[in-house]
Amino acid sequence: MSVSIVERLARWVALLVLAVVVLGPIYWIVVSSFKNPHEIISTEPSLWPSALYLGHYEKLFASTPYVTYLTNSTLIAAMTMVVTVAVSVSASFAMYRLRVRGASAIGTLVLLSYLIPGTLLLVPIYSSFASVGLIDTPAALVIVNVAFASPFCVWLLRGFFDSIPIELDDAAAVDGAGPLATLWRVNLPLLAPGIGTVGLYAFIFSWTEVVFASQLILSDQRKTLPIGLTAIMGQYNIDWGLLMAGASLTMVPGAILFAAVGRYFVRGLTAGAVQ
Amino acid sequence: MLLRRKRLGPYGYARGLGLSWNRSYPTLIGYALLAPLAVWIALILVYPVFNTVYLSLTNTRIIGAPSGFIGLTNYQTVIASPEFWRGLLLSLAWLVGNGIVQTIAAFATALLLRQSWRFARQARIWVLLPWVIPTVAVAVIWQWMLNSNYGIISHGLQASGVISSPLNVFGSPAGALLGLIVTNSWHWFALPAVVIFGAMQTIPSALYDAAKVDGAGPIAQFRYITLPMIARTLFVLELVGNLWTFNVLDIIFLITRGGPADASLTMPVELYYTAFKAWRIGEAAAMTIVVLGLLAAVSFLYVRRFAPRGTGA
Repeated sequence: MSVSIVERLARWVALLVLAVVVLGPIYWIVVSSFKNPHEIISTEPSLWPSALYLGHYEKLFASTPYVTYLTNSTLIAAMTMVVTVAVSVSASFAMYRLRVRGASAIGTLVLLSYLIPGTLLLVPIYSSFASVGLIDTPAALVIVNVAFASPFCVWLLRGFFDSIPIELDDAAAVDGAGPLATLWRVNLPLLAPGIGTVGLYAFIFSWTEVVFASQLILSDQRKTLPIGLTAIMGQYNIDWGLLMAGASLTMVPGAILFAAVGRYFVRGLTAGAVQ
Repeated sequence: MLLRRKRLGPYGYARGLGLSWNRSYPTLIGYALLAPLAVWIALILVYPVFNTVYLSLTNTRIIGAPSGFIGLTNYQTVIASPEFWRGLLLSLAWLVGNGIVQTIAAFATALLLRQSWRFARQARIWVLLPWVIPTVAVAVIWQWMLNSNYGIISHGLQASGVISSPLNVFGSPAGALLGLIVTNSWHWFALPAVVIFGAMQTIPSALYDAAKVDGAGPIAQFRYITLPMIARTLFVLELVGNLWTFNVLDIIFLITRGGPADASLTMPVELYYTAFKAWRIGEAAAMTIVVLGLLAAVSFLYVRRFAPRGTGA
């Protein structure tokens, strides 16, 4: 069927609007971070820096503990990613493949945990962590992040498990493979896109987390990136160039990961939609 | 039923196929695999709820400091405090604002992503970028764009003559919540958009062909085919989305800190300040329990009233 010119034009306009709304703000901040301080506050905004200016980035690395924050955030996000993948993959294998009795009860519990507001639990979690000496440790953030990221990951994984034919498990069983061997040798290799998806989600969840990081971490050298940037933001005279350079850099790891497994993530979301 | 049975696999309820291992062994392994998640959720999400109930009955001010049991006093204080009701009201405004903006944006985007041409297919990926970038970067982006002196939006509106004086969004009590709603919606709308798009993809195109033969226009098709076919997805999405939105603290905390003049002190921010600025932990705990009860009650009513028929969940 041929598409009329009007319809084609409408499509282009709609897509252009979407691109400007979605990518425009990101483009704007990245480009602005390469402008010199005068150009940043110029009354006539320029879409491209008149000259590439790296001063904000130099300042970021030379006079702020940015590298320390970056290291802390990376460590915590990587740990969160690994643990969340392990916990959610094994749990969803038990729920969706082994179909243990009570799996649906756990499923309900997982759903209910969406209902529990993270912020509201800040107080009791702080007090529990204080009593076991977890305050001001990276482990505290990893533990919290895994708890909040896992339920959604279990939900995401369902679609991926469903896409692996159950007959493969049957065949493995006939060959004498136990459930663990089935998980490890039959399901896991085929689950790679699902693992990527879940890992991406966990990493981003941890990378962006602010509320718990602001309360559970006290000492400066253990702070994460968002908290460090908040400190720059909170100054009386905001150094916008510095702030935009810092913000631009925080977007890089997530964007790289997303470029690698974004396709699978979208597939996981769309598969989840029909459950 | 037949379908379910077929999908059980070797370790489903219908095990006992006389295979090489003992009947109870897979079950044991199953529970062992499930245990970490269950323990994790129990310790970090469920136990703290009970702990909160306990804290709400005490006059705890700073965690670790000695405190006494004071019964329901905190609950009386909370119910009587204008701050609590203000927080609830602002949260309601927050929910409605985000609901309207994100529903429209998500639907429009989903319909666009459905187009089969190459650019629309690519958009399915990059549309999620705002969700991928950290909240703190989102806060910087929108504070900069909406900055009254240097922001591109204020500049643009002034240059085109829409407004005569700089637009101060986050600095004005009237604009702060609105600006935050726009910012938060930008951060999140792609997630429901992709989920709705995914649900739409499952609708058999034969339905649309039949409707076209019957003379149904695009609006009628949307109303009588698309919407009913994705009702179940929308039902879950609304519930989870609203709960997530209600609980948003980070973006507000990063941009306005509840201000100016308390104009963006939604419930989570109010709670945060009561606990960690005013150090009235007991009171914050009571507030938590009241809010949790409220969310549970509203969710329950929602599920009872709106759950699409014929769904097992």
